[in-house]
Amino acid sequence: MKANTGKIIDVDLSAGTVKVEQLPEEYYTKYIGGSGLAAKLFWERGNFDADALSPEAMLLFMNGPFAGLKLSGASRHSTAGRSPLTGGWGDSSCGGFLAPELRYAGYDGFILTGKAAQPSLLLIEDDKIEILDASEYWGQGATQVTESLKKRFGKAYRTLVIGPAGENLVRYSIILNEGHHATGRAGFGAVMGSKNLKAIVVKASKKKMELVDPERFEELRKELNPKIREALASDVLHENGTAANLIGGMYAGDVPIRNWTSNFWEEAADALTGSTLTETYLTKRGACAYCNIACKRIVEVKEGPWAIPEGPGPEYETIVSFGTLIGSIDLAATCKAGRLCNDLGIDTISTGGTIAWAMEAFEKGDLTKDDTDGVELNWGDLETVIDVILPKIAAREGKLGELLANGSVAASKKIGKGADYTVHAKGLEAPMHDPRGGGHGMALTYAVEARGACHVADPMLFAEMGARYYPEIGFEYELEPRTDENKAEAAVDMVAFGAIENSACFCQFADAEVTIPEWVELFNIVPGYEWDAEEMMRAGRRVFYLKRMINYRFGRTADDDKLTKRMLEPATDGEPEGVEINFEGMKQRFYELMKIDPEKAIPVKEVLVEYDMADEAGAVW
Amino acid sequence: MEYWKDENEPIKMFVKLFEEGFKDADLSGGLKKVNQLIWFDYTQDGPNCSFWVDCRGGDLKTGPGKPADAPDLTMSLSADDAHRSWSNKLNPVMAITRKKIRVKGSATGLLKLAPKLKKVAELYVKVLKDEGKEGIILK
Ligand code: SF4
Repeated sequence: MKANTGKIIDVDLSAGTVKVEQLPEEYYTKYIGGSGLAAKLFWERGNFDADALSPEAMLLFMNGPFAGLKLSGASRHSTAGRSPLTGGWGDSSCGGFLAPELRYAGYDGFILTGKAAQPSLLLIEDDKIEILDASEYWGQGATQVTESLKKRFGKAYRTLVIGPAGENLVRYSIILNEGHHATGRAGFGAVMGSKNLKAIVVKASKKKMELVDPERFEELRKELNPKIREALASDVLHENGTAANLIGGMYAGDVPIRNWTSNFWEEAADALTGSTLTETYLTKRGACAYCNIACKRIVEVKEGPWAIPEGPGPEYETIVSFGTLIGSIDLAATCKAGRLCNDLGIDTISTGGTIAWAMEAFEKGDLTKDDTDGVELNWGDLETVIDVILPKIAAREGKLGELLANGSVAASKKIGKGADYTVHAKGLEAPMHDPRGGGHGMALTYAVEARGACHVADPMLFAEMGARYYPEIGFEYELEPRTDENKAEAAVDMVAFGAIENSACFCQFADAEVTIPEWVELFNIVPGYEWDAEEMMRAGRRVFYLKRMINYRFGRTADDDKLTKRMLEPATDGEPEGVEINFEGMKQRFYELMKIDPEKAIPVKEVLVEYDMADEAGAVW
Repeated sequence: MEYWKDENEPIKMFVKLFEEGFKDADLSGGLKKVNQLIWFDYTQDGPNCSFWVDCRGGDLKTGPGKPADAPDLTMSLSADDAHRSWSNKLNPVMAITRKKIRVKGSATGLLKLAPKLKKVAELYVKVLKDEGKEGIILK
């Protein structure tokens, strides 16, 4: 096997044992790598009855086939398993520096099961794999632990760390790489916490990779890297970060405001957009391994109530989650809130979404001071959010912390009110792109993607902007965002393409510049999958299907492919004002095109056979 | 060219469009924030088919041809697509993705103008009417 090592580490934290295994090559050619490979391994070995936070639960970290190549955006990794937030399939892509180190150390990934007897860390140094005591770090913030680990092992050791929230099983806890890059969605920090695993540290002694055709790869790499960097979108991302087009998004009605009750706030556009961050608090730009786009922000807020020293800055999702979504246009406060969320180890999207829901509940009287330990939850009150609510959530402190630590869906269930104004699909709080303005196709993909409402599970958001064009596979749609026209048809390609991106662990910002023939060539000259475009798209579709089948075995059906009332009611202002989303029409058409059973929400048996999934079909039909 | 009888005609319209835009407080405010020298290059339709807009230093100027200074940003497209674009009938992101528009230089400032495109289109219709070009107004 080339590029992929074919080797994974199987760690049983209860028994304290570590086993290195060789995987069949077919797993890769059928399921690509990353989240696809994780889904295949979960399908084969996962315990479908186990609670996500039980010792039996399986947590998987997987690389894609391009990890470790000096190619922009190609070295992310995927974390996957049963989500403690949603109870269904979850996967989360993380940038940063773990993937190349793990690949150079000789592995495509690792699987964790069991529960360590005491707080532990997993150390991987080439062939030496050890479970070490980590009691000294338990209770500490992710930033401090990252620093301590770097001091103890060396700067070049790559780290994955959870914060106190993960220890306290907050259901949307994150795992932080290098103290900056987050495995943000689906709550896998809590899974690590439930296993008493505070950190994972990886170091390889060499930087060697074998490719099928290294000479041709080198030529292609020299074409792709400049092409990726010189693209307009990359330029904009480099200059002003992922919030660069917040201003355009605001005028399109894509930016959610006060728990999705409004789609336009003119003042917020200038106050929060990426160029404002550049002009005010940006000190440097940062990047994931080998990425020349460098969209990451390093910021410093020198003075005022939100002063923070130089360090990781907020991305678009954090800026909106702690900005307009909760009724604020204070950019410095978003920097502070983002930094605090990293340290406590919580996902900024689900945290912001849950707090926004709670603020609306408080305004409506569905939540009272009796439920909140006397804390008032008012729109735009960032002081209370930062000083009181975030620490309470991470510690599960008091009634308020306990209520919000399980996410907005669980909170609304607990108080028996407010389900109509939750904003999620399958229990995952929606990201900061409102399909009513951003594009109706995104409403469809939010609903049908396995992990729930997610804007990076597939590139539908970009397709509706006009930024995806793949004539080689017939993807030539001129999509009008705020209609249902051709959205189901486009989604068929986009969900398969998203599965390819997330299984190859290639960043959506960078791979937007890679054409279909270039994608195919990369798969052929790096790991040697011997594909044509059709076979590549089939692999993507197969991964999409398999994740749906995992969800089916968790008890999910077509009833779970839905959005909440709030997300589908026509907007009351801004560009999308009054426009209805034909959600059911798009969903039905998508099911037909994908040959998905309208009740079970999994592909019909004949399709599974056609996709070489006859064995898998046996478990569900 | 579908909309223009010669290479000078579109340039006359577009320069006029910007001259009118400078008089509008909202548009001129947005343009000043761009703070760049932009060359709109339609030379694929004729050697003189281009114009420039200088938004640098809080002063707004425009004129036909290539600017004397090196532009911060060059947008190359056809004069017909430029007509569609000023009429707000061409999705700029889609056009860039499909290589109908080629961009050289930093376009970050232009993002600030995106919300104003509707207003530009309204003004453009007025300019076309004033100049007797109603026939090419896109509905
Ligand atoms: S574009 Fe940004 S998020 Fe993507 S790999 Fe590069 S630095 Fe990381």
